[in-house]
Amino acid sequence: MSVEPVPAAAPSAGELIRNGILTENPVFRLALSLCPAVAVTTNVTNGIALGLAVLAVQVLSSVTVALTRTRIHPRVRIPVYTLIIAVWVSAIDMTLAAFAPAVYAQVGLYVKLIVAFAIIISRLEMFASRYPLVPSFWDGLGMGLGFLFALMVIGALRELLGNGSILGFQLTPAKPLLFFALPAGGFFSIALLMALFNRIERMMGGTGAPSGGGSHGV
Amino acid sequence: MASRMPVARPGLAFALAVVTAALAAVLMMLMLAPPVEAAGDPIAHVRVAPPNEIVVRLTAPPADPRPEDFRFTEASAPDAPIPVTAVRVEDGNRVRLTLDATVHPSQHYRLEMTRPAGARDVRPSALALMFTIFLSSALINNFVFTRYLGLCVFFGVSKRRETAIGMGITFTAVIIATGMFSWAVFTYVLKPLHLGFLQVVVFIGAVAAVVQFLDTMLKKTHPQLHRGFGVYLMLITTNCIILAVPLLNAAADASAIEAFSLAVGSGVGFALALFLMSCAREKLELARVPKSFEGLPMAFALAGLFALAFMGFSGLDFFR
Amino acid sequence: MSPDLPILPAPPRADRGEMFRIAMNLTLFSALAAAILGGVWLATERYAAAARLAGEKRAIGELLGLGESAEVTEVEQFMAAAAREVVYRAHAYGDDAGPVRTVTFSFEGELRGREDLAAPAAAPAGGGAEAALEPLGRMFVARQDGALAGFVVEGEARGYKNRIRFFVALDSAFQVAGVRVLEHEEDPGLGAEIATPWFEGQYIGRSAGDVAKLTVTKDPMPEDWRAALAGLARTPVADWRAKHGALLAREGPKPIYAVTGATISSRALTDGLRTTVDHFRRRWALLGPQLAEGA
Repeated sequence: MSVEPVPAAAPSAGELIRNGILTENPVFRLALSLCPAVAVTTNVTNGIALGLAVLAVQVLSSVTVALTRTRIHPRVRIPVYTLIIAVWVSAIDMTLAAFAPAVYAQVGLYVKLIVAFAIIISRLEMFASRYPLVPSFWDGLGMGLGFLFALMVIGALRELLGNGSILGFQLTPAKPLLFFALPAGGFFSIALLMALFNRIERMMGGTGAPSGGGSHGV
Repeated sequence: MASRMPVARPGLAFALAVVTAALAAVLMMLMLAPPVEAAGDPIAHVRVAPPNEIVVRLTAPPADPRPEDFRFTEASAPDAPIPVTAVRVEDGNRVRLTLDATVHPSQHYRLEMTRPAGARDVRPSALALMFTIFLSSALINNFVFTRYLGLCVFFGVSKRRETAIGMGITFTAVIIATGMFSWAVFTYVLKPLHLGFLQVVVFIGAVAAVVQFLDTMLKKTHPQLHRGFGVYLMLITTNCIILAVPLLNAAADASAIEAFSLAVGSGVGFALALFLMSCAREKLELARVPKSFEGLPMAFALAGLFALAFMGFSGLDFFR
Repeated sequence: MSPDLPILPAPPRADRGEMFRIAMNLTLFSALAAAILGGVWLATERYAAAARLAGEKRAIGELLGLGESAEVTEVEQFMAAAAREVVYRAHAYGDDAGPVRTVTFSFEGELRGREDLAAPAAAPAGGGAEAALEPLGRMFVARQDGALAGFVVEGEARGYKNRIRFFVALDSAFQVAGVRVLEHEEDPGLGAEIATPWFEGQYIGRSAGDVAKLTVTKDPMPEDWRAALAGLARTPVADWRAKHGALLAREGPKPIYAVTGATISSRALTDGLRTTVDHFRRRWALLGPQLAEGA
């Protein structure tokens, strides 16, 4: 009992990945899941850690939903999607706590919050519930990679300017602009990077405006 | 879009009703709490007077008190008494003790007296504690500007002042309800059964359940309100703050009062952030913004400025 | 492609059978979810606990410069408020099933009892007869090659933002061998700098008496001292102390240099250290002989 008739052709793997990283990059274009993008990116390592966690949750949830979408009663599909995401988030949370405690101490709270990210559940609703396993996997991977990429870029900018280091390796003797390591700097970093992405997209022929913007229509 | 604008007054009334009911419950709890002192306790009240004094009010006039009559310790170090260097009698049955260390009203201490015999735990009053947590979660560690939570919805709803106010009120009401419900489930079900690892699943379930319940109830009892506020309710489910508050309470093993204060503080802080942002963004619509910055990027920069301003609250201490 | 959460159109009223099927569907998924999570928890909890332990062990080893053959005893302190007693439980660190020595003192320092158990009682402190015990803190005693190698005491300070949890290491002469900040919530780049080797290293070599009178100054740190402290990140403490003996002698009597822009955090850690070291000396004077006897 699937939700809607399966669309004619699923996009190819390459298209899906490029979509996730560039055209519909969750952070810079769709402006979803912004909370961790600012909170966790004081340095690249934390950004990568959370990015990988989100990637894992996205891929695993997409795959799970794609496999079980015939069994999910359509009227309770949102709660079931939420449940699936929550299970994977808890599993990844526990795994991180067990095998990467140093990183977990920094990003623990935000890993648990992954369950509230709109990006994941909206992806499940729009894609994984309608397409079979393989395209759903690529879509999840694309979105996850886009998110990881965004976190890495923001993290790099903030760590380089705020601390003078990259991945822990000190490049400058003093902190160039401590401001970027602070919460306010996080907001500014994203503002700059979003504007940059808009510019790039306009140069590549698009409209230059984020298609989401977390506007929710209001 | 006029029909989708929230009707301010009934909505306000609804939300205020929820908040007032919750507040009333808490106040009743505080008032009905059994009096701390037992009959015949010579110590009526102890107040910490920073930097290094405490003022003890006795039930009877003190009879020549000396430093060795008192034993004052930090609650966490009962075997290491803080030396009392001087004792001064003040009017109103008060005794002022000067100590050999700095003390602070937010810490827990224990005072013991030998002549006459009495003892008292010295800790911040429930109201002071509530206010501290409230201030902390609303201003100092504002969830939006300092902890960067709830951003997804924040940027969407802060475009106009009316929607910002509507969302702020709804959110505060909902977070109090879900926060306390989650706290109850955690304290009375998850913790005793050592099921802490189910936190995430249970809390998001609690949030979804409470939101769904409020939504259904509102649809039946106040359909007009529902049209105005319903969309906000659905959005709240994907708001990071609504999940973060129960998680933080669980991590800190908070008491009911602490959990309540955190919920109220976070709701008020979020509403404040929304309101400020919406006022600024309304002005922004009239400004000339570079093409690439139009829309969200500029909003982020604005949020950054607010975050900078909120840093000024950092050292705020209710007790100082 | 709108990323909004879809607002579902109101579905037709479901009939009883339909509702039952929905409920069963949801229940099935919930049960599956709980089972999976339980399984993951069982599989990972051991590792999580071991990781926590390993992190602390490494910190203790680095602070005291311990070798592989060192033995660390963990001493947990509890309070029995009703009986006005403090209870110490000493056992080999990391070994929860080995022999335990319990020493009880009154608040005033009078010895109330000492008990050796080959294996701990069925429930650890917190259950059954010991339900009234409230944990107060922990300390670690390290022995190497039969001699006392030093102590590590866990302490807490009230920081600018929240609590600061730290380890302070003392050698057998009660001189500070090192400080390590474990947990804090201070601002990155400002208060968080107290958790760096160059700040923590300032306390090294100070005697317990010095620590009791330690103050914090806003004066800038001399360049050569800063350069020397930066080397702490890469050098074992003992070598570092040997190399910078002259600098240590010069800076030892001086106050702690605060982190620029984070005076309160710097003071908080210093005050916390002072209290912790003072309490520890007092407690060890009573506890030490009891643990050494017949050990």
